[in-house]
Amino acid sequence: MAAKPSTTTTAKATYSPIDPTRKTRPPIFSGSDVDWLRPDSRGFHQCRPAFFRTGAVNSASGSAYAEFGNTKVIVSVFGPRESKKAMMYSNIGRLNCNVSYTTFATPIRGQGSDHKDFSSMLHKALEGAIILETFPKTTVDVFALVLESGGSDLPVVISCASVALADAGIMMYDLVASVSVSCLGKNLLIDPVLEEESYQDGSLMIACMPSRYEVTQLTVTGEWSTPHFNEAMQLCLDASAKLGKIMRSCLKEAASDEQE
Amino acid sequence: MGLPNASEDLSSEMEVDAFRRLFPLRYFERHLAESIRPDARSLSRARNTTISMGAVASADGSALAKIGSTTMLAAIKMEVMTPSLESPDEGCVSIDFHMPPICSPLVRPGRPAEAAPVVAKQLSDTISSSGMINLKELSLVGGKAAWMVYLDIYCLDADGALFDAALLSAVAAFSNLQIPTVSLDDGKIVMLPEEQKEENSEKEPVNKEKRKLTLGGIPFSLTCILHKNYILADPTSEEESIMETLVTVVLDSSNQLVSLYKPGGAVLAYTSAVQDCIALTRQRVKELHQILEEAISGMEID
Repeated sequence: MAAKPSTTTTAKATYSPIDPTRKTRPPIFSGSDVDWLRPDSRGFHQCRPAFFRTGAVNSASGSAYAEFGNTKVIVSVFGPRESKKAMMYSNIGRLNCNVSYTTFATPIRGQGSDHKDFSSMLHKALEGAIILETFPKTTVDVFALVLESGGSDLPVVISCASVALADAGIMMYDLVASVSVSCLGKNLLIDPVLEEESYQDGSLMIACMPSRYEVTQLTVTGEWSTPHFNEAMQLCLDASAKLGKIMRSCLKEAASDEQE
Repeated sequence: MGLPNASEDLSSEMEVDAFRRLFPLRYFERHLAESIRPDARSLSRARNTTISMGAVASADGSALAKIGSTTMLAAIKMEVMTPSLESPDEGCVSIDFHMPPICSPLVRPGRPAEAAPVVAKQLSDTISSSGMINLKELSLVGGKAAWMVYLDIYCLDADGALFDAALLSAVAAFSNLQIPTVSLDDGKIVMLPEEQKEENSEKEPVNKEKRKLTLGGIPFSLTCILHKNYILADPTSEEESIMETLVTVVLDSSNQLVSLYKPGGAVLAYTSAVQDCIALTRQRVKELHQILEEAISGMEID
């Protein structure tokens, strides 16, 4: 009866009753800007409340859970541990990153596998912040699982991974805080949710080290004008500085709890 | 002149942590002789267990179960399928168990954990044979459409007794499940957005109200380790790695035996040992039943 059917037959045999066409772009962005609220009734330049907690996974060397609205992410850090046998000798440490999605992360089941590029993006965003010289010949593994995708997934994964690395005691120059901005017509929306991302004209994501004022990763896609771009970058940098403070206070809290 | 003999003399002068790593079995046996375990539990006591319902907003039903630090997140997504010819008025349940690389240092990306398919098979066998779900309730339009229930369980932290935690989270997710409101439109089943519910009267409603499944006998389980004459309930991953003979007993809420697994191992169990395991499970079922009831009633108050 409740036998598990083979995946090849079920892939096409079932469909989700959610109607994918219902997400239409609000008409407001075609005209000038009027008072319009975002789906979660935030201001255009207001981020979702950020929540971090370290020590989510006991069997890992370090871990963190992050929740931004409906975006929920767990990152575990393992190591530094022995590199794979096939690896060449290296006198600096290696960083290995992997991002995966749960099958129920997206509104329609099993669409999370579209984000194959996130693993290498995460690697590149963190690489510059980690002092790889401190763990020669070994590997640090950073594994992320997106429990629920609610928009701005990659920036949340990057910020959460950097908190997990700090929890594991991996030496870094600074925490990496990451924020993205969506461009819709003339408007800039910071920390977009999934719905806003689906009808954006362009997006910009910055990962930076707030106290050093250095950018580790900057990705721009879509249509941007120069003044818009400058404004968006400034918005992101300001928001990352604030996010960095939240991340730092989470780590401080965890450290003071431990001492007690 | 084997190593174990050497440990006898060393143990007095060695640090406890070093002794635990070098002679794990001896370390455990010393505890067992005093009827206590390294985490201060008695042999027959299970770890603290919690359930929180509705952990995943994008799912139709979900639950997070924790036994000690073993953590399982189960979520259910409902899709529509055409029922098979043999059972035109029945839906289907598909159960998957995942061990992502975050859960344990032993799992690496691209190299799936050995334990995952074993637990997945045990889970779908247990849930289908317990008769907890009446597949007829999952029918939408006889012969044309029925619900396909995708239950995905993710292990977020692996610290022993994976099957027990996975089954508990699965059962909790099923009791949290709300079948969505749908209607028939042009031969396809569609979900109505909240605001359109009254206007679109030309669409034929199939499932008018959100409803819950009626669950039959709910299965609960307890895994025990057999080692010499000792029976250790609810092992941690450290205990599982040292003493390898496991017995998993599944009972339903009226204490009927659903299934019993003893996948080999060095210890050959006497019937008395198996009976002791069942007795322990009987006690544990009471505990788990209460924890589940509390989690469900906690949801209703909100």
